Amino acid sequence: MSNNGNLWPPAGAPFTHADASVGKVMMQVQIASILPLLVHIYYFGWGIAVQWMLAMMTGLVVEYAMLHLRGRPVKPFLLDGSAVITVTGLTFCIPPESPWWLIVVGVSFALIFGKHLYGGLGYNPFNPAMLGYAFLLVSFPAEMTQWTLPSAVSGHTLSIMDSMIKIFTGHLPQGLIDQVTGATPLDHVKTGLHNGGTVHDVLSHSQTIWNGIAGHGWIQVNIAFMLGGLYLLWTRTIRWQYPVGFLGTLALLAWIFHTIDPAHYAPPLFHLLSGGTMLAAFFIITDPVTAAATPKGRLIYAMGIGVLVYVIRTWGGYPDGIAFAVLLMNIFVPLIDQYTQPRVKGYSK
Amino acid sequence: MSLKETLIRGLAYLYPMARRWLKRFPGGVYPQYKKELSARHPLHAPILPDELILPLQQHVGVPAIPTVKVGERVRKFQQIAKPAPGLSVPVHAPTSGTVKAIEKRPLPHPSGLPDWCIVIEPDGQDEAGDMPVAIQTPTCPASLKKMILQAGIVGMGGAGFPSWRKLPTKQGQIHTLLINGAECEPYITCDDLLMQTRPHDIIQGALKVAECIGAEKIIVGIEDNKPFALKAMRQAAEGTGVDIQAVPTVYPMGGQKQLTEQLTGIEVPAKAHAVDVGLLMFNVATAAAIYRAAEYHEPLVSRLVTVSGEGLAEPMNIEALLGTPFEALANVAKPKQPLDYPLIMGGPMMGHEVVNTQVPVIKTTNCILANPPQPITPAMPCIRCGECMDACPVNLLPQQMYWHAHAHEWDKVEKLHLFDCIECGCCSFVCPSHIPLVQYYRHAKGEIRKLREEQAFQEHARRRHEAHLARLEREKAEKEARLKAKKEAVKKQAAQSTPSVDAQSAGLSARERAIAAAKARAAKESGPTATDDTAAKRKAAMEAARKRAAAKRKADTSDEPAQSPEEKRKAAMEAAKRRAEALKAQKASTDSATEKTPSEKVGDPLCADAKRKAAMEAARKRAAAQRAKKAQEAASSTDTSTPPGSDQATEETAQADRRLAAMEAARRRAAALRQQKQETGEETPAGKDQTPVENAQTAQNPTSAATPSATEKRDTEKVGDPPSRDSKRKAAMEAARKRAAALRARKAQQNSEHNDT
Repeated sequence: MSNNGNLWPPAGAPFTHADASVGKVMMQVQIASILPLLVHIYYFGWGIAVQWMLAMMTGLVVEYAMLHLRGRPVKPFLLDGSAVITVTGLTFCIPPESPWWLIVVGVSFALIFGKHLYGGLGYNPFNPAMLGYAFLLVSFPAEMTQWTLPSAVSGHTLSIMDSMIKIFTGHLPQGLIDQVTGATPLDHVKTGLHNGGTVHDVLSHSQTIWNGIAGHGWIQVNIAFMLGGLYLLWTRTIRWQYPVGFLGTLALLAWIFHTIDPAHYAPPLFHLLSGGTMLAAFFIITDPVTAAATPKGRLIYAMGIGVLVYVIRTWGGYPDGIAFAVLLMNIFVPLIDQYTQPRVKGYSK
Repeated sequence: MSLKETLIRGLAYLYPMARRWLKRFPGGVYPQYKKELSARHPLHAPILPDELILPLQQHVGVPAIPTVKVGERVRKFQQIAKPAPGLSVPVHAPTSGTVKAIEKRPLPHPSGLPDWCIVIEPDGQDEAGDMPVAIQTPTCPASLKKMILQAGIVGMGGAGFPSWRKLPTKQGQIHTLLINGAECEPYITCDDLLMQTRPHDIIQGALKVAECIGAEKIIVGIEDNKPFALKAMRQAAEGTGVDIQAVPTVYPMGGQKQLTEQLTGIEVPAKAHAVDVGLLMFNVATAAAIYRAAEYHEPLVSRLVTVSGEGLAEPMNIEALLGTPFEALANVAKPKQPLDYPLIMGGPMMGHEVVNTQVPVIKTTNCILANPPQPITPAMPCIRCGECMDACPVNLLPQQMYWHAHAHEWDKVEKLHLFDCIECGCCSFVCPSHIPLVQYYRHAKGEIRKLREEQAFQEHARRRHEAHLARLEREKAEKEARLKAKKEAVKKQAAQSTPSVDAQSAGLSARERAIAAAKARAAKESGPTATDDTAAKRKAAMEAARKRAAAKRKADTSDEPAQSPEEKRKAAMEAAKRRAEALKAQKASTDSATEKTPSEKVGDPLCADAKRKAAMEAARKRAAAQRAKKAQEAASSTDTSTPPGSDQATEETAQADRRLAAMEAARRRAAALRQQKQETGEETPAGKDQTPVENAQTAQNPTSAATPSATEKRDTEKVGDPPSRDSKRKAAMEAARKRAAALRARKAQQNSEHNDT
């Protein structure tokens, strides 16, 4: 609690209040993520829905337990919706058909180590969802990189029962694992380039599979995230500096390098519409608790993430570098805030 | 309407916050205005309450001084309290009647503390006497200043700053006069109604002020949610050159710096006043009051008040006499439920709750708000969403200020420009976590002010202490120099009176030389064997010499005339003794160690004792004088700095005296403080020689009286010697107790005061 539960400071003006609360802010984010969720289900099957349910239940148990252990009032903090956002963010990041314990471990780590051990809502320096994701990625790389192939690519449409069997037992009834899951387009391109191919080769060779731009299904999901993000901008849940700074920087860097060497550097559209780019731009880096707070600072923070994402994707060891980029920029937030204070009215500066 | 404005207004249907781009200053919020509650009714007929409670302080600054007695009959417009020296304004009787009491009543102030009020029981005749002669139609800045002061006019928009103080002293310093008709707070419509019903007064008042101070331009800013007021004002301003501007409706458009920027584009520098950039702003009600004073010589005795809120069946605006209890007005508006919840003075954004329903309408009361209490949403942790930053009209970082204020990192809060916060409440209004941000800033401001005071006090004490040490050093040096000079003189004297033994006793002291000379002479006279005889003789001679010396001491100290050998010896002895005694007396008074010489043993101790007694007596007298002086000054001055007089008085005295005097003074001051406190608690303003003004000040500054005892105690410690330690400790303890009490009092006051600012 912010005011130590006592009467300090005393109540006073203003005696009226805008119709806003933490719960409402979080609810907007949740509403905005419905469209991407549906699109995701359409292209990648019901796996994500199962994962989401699992994650929600885990989140509920962990939140309750942690609030109880920390001696905090459970109800207001359970209803503030912040855990739901963390859970949703993480769910979008893990492979839909990954084993059940993966999301359980990831959510628990994110909430316990990412949030509660720092003092709960508002006090965590690192984005909990990204902390959970990074933890899973370095601990269980094999499980984290086997992504479900879009049904149009694999030719299989997994039913909700199929997904549940796969998630809870690790087996598919038909034993078609290899054809159902595979590398993501980002991974695919990275491997292709590593093996001496050109961007053109990789993308055109797999035109039917990857849709020529950034991968079938991935494009649609990214666009859905963008639409959800625009809703968030409209409701003033997030600020424009985050997506503009991040996407702008990423696109600019991709364009520069693609112009210099089209054979070895993927075009801007590929970067913008593949992997978790739009998820990050509108749902992850916009987490206000861990992001820079001043207008200029937000822009710098988002641009920093853009640079890091491009660097990790292009030259780093991981196919997508959003989690690490966000966590790295989280470290700089106090510094950025310190040096980007706006000019106060009446001062020249 | 410009193209840009049209575009933004169109966009605002899709994205409401686009409205923020319509104005010149950043931030701002759009609360539910609910102005129609009270604005849809015409002005209510005036009422005459059973009693009028007129606080002596209805403004920022020093309370006025009552000029009437209890039981006296007063007439309408009669001055009943005169302005105190400094930032103050007079108070006038709003109607005719009898002064029922002059006593402490609760005020509509955030602290809710009772303060001095003149209570008038109206006789219902509303009989006006002669208009106060001091209120004359002004022609120049000086006469305008005088008229506004004498009419008791203060900023009626809610600030309550005495308007005369805002005026320039010379013509031409102000190029533009701004009239504030924004009225941006929700619910409040008294300015709206004033502009609708008395636009002529406002325009003419503004023209009068502009004429007197030589302003070339008058701009009236009115929010565009008051179409009727805009229309009325435009009509009244026709042909006068007064520019009536509609400004976008946004809170806090009515803030002085905000409206100034909106109307002129000028951003008033942070540390400057509007006057410094050639601007002057008055509220519409203030302008109307100035007109009434200039045209009809009427002082300020009534004002338009909005009585509104969800708890009232018939919200309204009314011309209320100053001093009307809130309840009387609220009852006219027909409360839906009993008024058992706190009423608010001012609007919901910046107003404050009042302690009870009996507090009076004062010059700054623009609204009485009766909103039944809502369930309180508990504060959640800050999620750094940045809404507060986007809402801040001053471009502060409310969220970071909160963060540091919460952690009590005052230096960091201050660095984030805490003192530029206008406490408009926008940040609190938009905060999704419902954090009472403004309360944190007020608290932080209070704490920082307190720290500054303490620092200033410590700095002062340190300087005093250093000055004290330097003085001791200087005195010691002076004393040594004096002693040396005296020794020199004695040496010279001795050399003159016993030239024969000069050579052999060059290295000895005067006394020793004299004794040696006497011995030599005795040996010459009676031979080496008759030592006993010589000793007896010498004794007798010494006795005689002592007697003569005692007699001589009173007369003069001139050199002895030359006499016979025997006489010579006696004279020499006598001179030596006298010198020894003088030296001894001096030494006793300086407390320095002296070697015991034979003559000193014989010299009478009674003399030294008497001297010390005399010194003590003198010290006591000085202390008493000082005490009297101090008591006088403590009563008449608010200055917390130098404890008067003590330094110079003690400077001339020896250290022992000073010690005694200091102790005595400390005891005295403690007693004085005690007495003073009792007085402030009980006294009535007219009854005794201390006015409530002084009372209030002494109560506000209990440290001022405690200060001397603190520093004095240090002095005592410095020069203290064992025998006086007990009494010294007692004095110190007494002083400490006093200080603790004073601190407690101050804290209590600040606690209750930190809502306000």
